[in-house]
Amino acid sequence: PALAEGWSAEKDFKPLSSITSSSQRTIEPVGPHFLAHARRARHKRTFSEDDRI
Amino acid sequence: MAETGATSVTPDERCAIGITFGNSYSSIACTVDDNAVVIANEDGDRQIPTILSYVDGEEYTGNQAKAFLVRNANNTVTSFRDFLGQEFKSIDPTHCHAAAHPKDVDGGVSFTIQDNVEGEPSTVSVSEISTRYLRRLITSASDYLGKKVTSAVLTVPTNFSEKQREALIKATTAAGIEVLQLINEPTAAVLAYDARPEAVVEDKTIVVADLGGSRSDVAVVASRGGLYTILATAHDYEFGGASLDKVLMDHFAKEFMKKNKDVDPRENARSLAKLKAESEAAKKALSIGTNASFSVESLAEGIDFQSTINRLRYETIARKVFDGFNRLVEGVIKKAGLDVLDIDEVILSGGTAHTPRIASNFRSIFPATTAIQAPSTNPNAVNPSELLARGAALQASLIQEYETNDIEQSTHPAVTTVPHITNAIGVVSLGDDGEDIFTPVIAPETAVPVRRTVHVATPKEGGDVLVKIVEGNTHIKVTKPEAKPKENGTKDDDEDDSDDDDSEEEEEETREKVWKIGATLGEAAVRGVKKGSKVEVTINVAGDLGVTITSREVGGKGGIRGVVKAP
Repeated sequence: PALAEGWSAEKDFKPLSSITSSSQRTIEPVGPHFLAHARRARHKRTFSEDDRI
Repeated sequence: MAETGATSVTPDERCAIGITFGNSYSSIACTVDDNAVVIANEDGDRQIPTILSYVDGEEYTGNQAKAFLVRNANNTVTSFRDFLGQEFKSIDPTHCHAAAHPKDVDGGVSFTIQDNVEGEPSTVSVSEISTRYLRRLITSASDYLGKKVTSAVLTVPTNFSEKQREALIKATTAAGIEVLQLINEPTAAVLAYDARPEAVVEDKTIVVADLGGSRSDVAVVASRGGLYTILATAHDYEFGGASLDKVLMDHFAKEFMKKNKDVDPRENARSLAKLKAESEAAKKALSIGTNASFSVESLAEGIDFQSTINRLRYETIARKVFDGFNRLVEGVIKKAGLDVLDIDEVILSGGTAHTPRIASNFRSIFPATTAIQAPSTNPNAVNPSELLARGAALQASLIQEYETNDIEQSTHPAVTTVPHITNAIGVVSLGDDGEDIFTPVIAPETAVPVRRTVHVATPKEGGDVLVKIVEGNTHIKVTKPEAKPKENGTKDDDEDDSDDDDSEEEEEETREKVWKIGATLGEAAVRGVKKGSKVEVTINVAGDLGVTITSREVGGKGGIRGVVKAP
């Protein structure tokens, strides 16, 4: 939507609330995308660090 | 564990395959140029009956052993997979009635069979039976590949206990095979579909209906960016291929008795075995054609029997069983807290999934947008009998170059158990009528960390744009046949049923999924957007549920970056 008149925030971003709910579930340790996830988790890498490698 | 010396193989010496070890049938598969191929044994069978039989000290498996159920039932072991790692008192021996009976030995399960040419019958544990059978499967695979198979990934039902998993690993290791990993059956089926070259990895919710011989297992799987999470499972031991065989056995037995009074082929073990074998064959024929013949030489008391059945008749007499599958699927979706409208795809797996009627029943349960992956509803569907073995083979090829402890560490709960967001996260955009529309970016039940990018349309005139990142969840809107006075416009923002269409003239009530906008996570302003251009929004949810939002005009430089703290 268009920006309302007079809207302003520091660096133009306004954080309002955190994620309200989540649950602990188990991912199936199967498939190429999981192996990529496991690699990131074990090396504590982020997505962008992973992209660069 | 290392007595066979095969428990730990270095990655460069490995030759790994996928094994599906079922109660009724087993399969072996390997990968050729990243494609999974199911291996036929020396009899030419890709679905190899899980049966082990001894005649004159000679060991038989597969269809050869199955044939001995008529003449040599006592020395033939069937349907034993589910007995592994089980206490005798907790097993259900129903499917062993026509073969060697399970025996209680020290609380575990054993069979007494004549496996030598002469001498006393041996009492063999179910673990040893499994080892012997698996050894034969491996030999078939090694013969096909021309090299010794060293390692395998096996599929197991989701409700296999730790004890059963350990027992399976032990039995496989004793057959000289290193178990790289045990994977859940529904996941193997999903992987087999996702690994096809034409498959696109997308966020979808899948129901995997694995309809076997002695059991049926259904699972709801959330597939998010190629990561799979099982949301709910259901298991049924009443409805399966064996219950369909039973329907046909009763049908043909009654027909036989109409012609031959007082002779019930079900009352004689050998006649019953013949009846069962031919009924299964007729059932398979009815999955392919619309007619099947049934003929058994000397079915009972030396009388031959011949008959035919058409598919329609079969579907009528088997209706109760088919309805059971429907209830099982509907039940598991409910258990996952979902609705049929939430399901994007149904994967039919297992031998019974070849039945056209089951697929068409599922077709009518689900909305038209749900893909039903079965041979009769989708010509490109993967053979349901091969799915699990293919999935296992693909996983085997993915991990065979890993060190054993790498695999162990990667599959550790610390890696696999992570938070999943309950609500969807998306952006709010303006609809045609100026109302707020929720566009999901990250689907509910997505594991974190996750990153997704979308392109959002901006107001036609361009200018400064507000990007509003919100949570959203769905609810099912039921539109009754009678048109009620509309109450649109009286609702406030967070109850905006944006998809309100005017299809209320329809005869039946219509149910549709609508998004409801929840809490706003953050707002960002992208200034000076050109006319007709789009804004790229990247939402990154970290492992601690902190959210980073980046937005910028497509093709533009810089952009706005903001962080929403973890809860």
